[in-house]
Amino acid sequence: MPTTTSSAPWPISPAMPPVLEICDLRVSYVAGPEVLKGISFAVGADEFVAIIGSSGAGKSTLIRCVNRLVEPSHGRVLFNGRDMLRLDSGDLRRERRNIGMIFQQFNLIERMSVIDNVLTGRLGHTGTLRSLFRMFRREDIERAVRLLDRFGLAEHIDKRADQLSGGQRQRVGIARALIQNPGLLLVDEPTSSLDPKISREVMALIRDAAREFAIPVLCNIHDVALALEFGTRVIGLQGGRVMFDAPAAEVDQIVLNRIYNMEVL
Amino acid sequence: MTGPVEILATAVMARRRRSRRFSLLFQAGIAALVLWSLEAIVIGDTDWSRITLASVGRALGRFAEFDWRLMPDLLEPALETVLMATLATLLGLLLAIPVAWLGAANISPVGRVTYVLGRGLMTLSRSIHEMVWGLVFVAAVGLGALAGILAMSLRSIGFISKMVAEAIEDVDTGPIEAMRAAGGNRFQVLLYAIVPQVLPVVLGSIIFEWDVNVRRSTIMGLVGAGGLGLALHRQIVSYNYGGIVAVILIILGIILIGEVASNRARQAVL
Repeated sequence: MPTTTSSAPWPISPAMPPVLEICDLRVSYVAGPEVLKGISFAVGADEFVAIIGSSGAGKSTLIRCVNRLVEPSHGRVLFNGRDMLRLDSGDLRRERRNIGMIFQQFNLIERMSVIDNVLTGRLGHTGTLRSLFRMFRREDIERAVRLLDRFGLAEHIDKRADQLSGGQRQRVGIARALIQNPGLLLVDEPTSSLDPKISREVMALIRDAAREFAIPVLCNIHDVALALEFGTRVIGLQGGRVMFDAPAAEVDQIVLNRIYNMEVL
Repeated sequence: MTGPVEILATAVMARRRRSRRFSLLFQAGIAALVLWSLEAIVIGDTDWSRITLASVGRALGRFAEFDWRLMPDLLEPALETVLMATLATLLGLLLAIPVAWLGAANISPVGRVTYVLGRGLMTLSRSIHEMVWGLVFVAAVGLGALAGILAMSLRSIGFISKMVAEAIEDVDTGPIEAMRAAGGNRFQVLLYAIVPQVLPVVLGSIIFEWDVNVRRSTIMGLVGAGGLGLALHRQIVSYNYGGIVAVILIILGIILIGEVASNRARQAVL
């Protein structure tokens, strides 16, 4: 039976309806077992939800179901009350504009300048003809410059993306997501290509920006320490199922031992 | 005493003997084939009484009578040759872009059907020699450079579109994912995530194809399709050996210049 928000393990204040509500989400690829076997949870407006779990647990698939980079086979994904799974391709594109995404491999266009990379975050709001000539609006360019300046990349604006270091490139990726002015941030293993020091900086950057612009975050991260430090809530995924779902402060050593034991199995 | 190792070794020995015997047989077969074709088409088919040291020397001597007077008249066809190659390459690129789009498995618009169509067009373009295309277009649009340009551009489609289609199939899918996630439409994904990644391949293949087209355009005139080939043809039919040499030297010069120019361009772009 599909679980709903009311069965979440802690109360969500009624004044604040969830931004994202996932109900009984299932995914199976052709000729294979189910990758997600009925996932349900909700994300409130002020939450930073960290999803932990070993590789192959379905974290990446789960996050891609929200903006339908992966097509689920069953379930509901309500974003601000609209079911993403029922949108036609035009409506889906319009809804995707409101969901920013940050990637493990940054997914920048290497041969394009830093600022053009950030501006691609506005493609959904830019006409096809304008985008053909890279004629982005002045207000978009101003916001791109402001974001790059905020992330300490002001002097790299016109450099090609492949000339930057890993940490700088991820900042460009974050700026690209933020310029969308999103109502939700999907973050997929943002630190896996970075060293530990840069990883914490990048996580802090995402958290601070999310707080400042009041954007809820759904973040895959296999590093449990980072998940506990930056997440307000932690969801443990195992074999395509939610194994636990609790506020970060309540995740103690016993719970962690359980995860590690589960991962050994 | 024969243990398992000895049994295995005996089997390996037998297998090696068999494969050695087979490869000897194969080599003997190839040798017989070569000897037979030499006898059939060279030894039997040549008028050996005609070939003497003196006759060969005489013929080569005629080629040494270089015809300088022809040079000024060759400048215009020489320029025409290079321009033909350039226009043919640009037209070929223009026609190759939609073919590459059809023939790239990952972005082909209607899937399997258009993919097969695209691959079919590539093969068609490459499997018919430019001289044959030239004959077709001379018949269709008359003698002159236009027929040559059309012939070479059709031939160029195959190479350029195949290179570009393969580059499209090899693109990093990360940026595609990012553009889709930001709400980009199909065209924007193509323009921002795919085009920048395949641009070096596009430039590299048009430089290569221009170089090839310069060579092609020097002989397109043999079928009446403009350029230096026409001058070459005239010298051949009037048995003016000195003139033939003059045209050949000009062709050699153009090809050398083309080689240098394309190398420079490649270094500048890549």
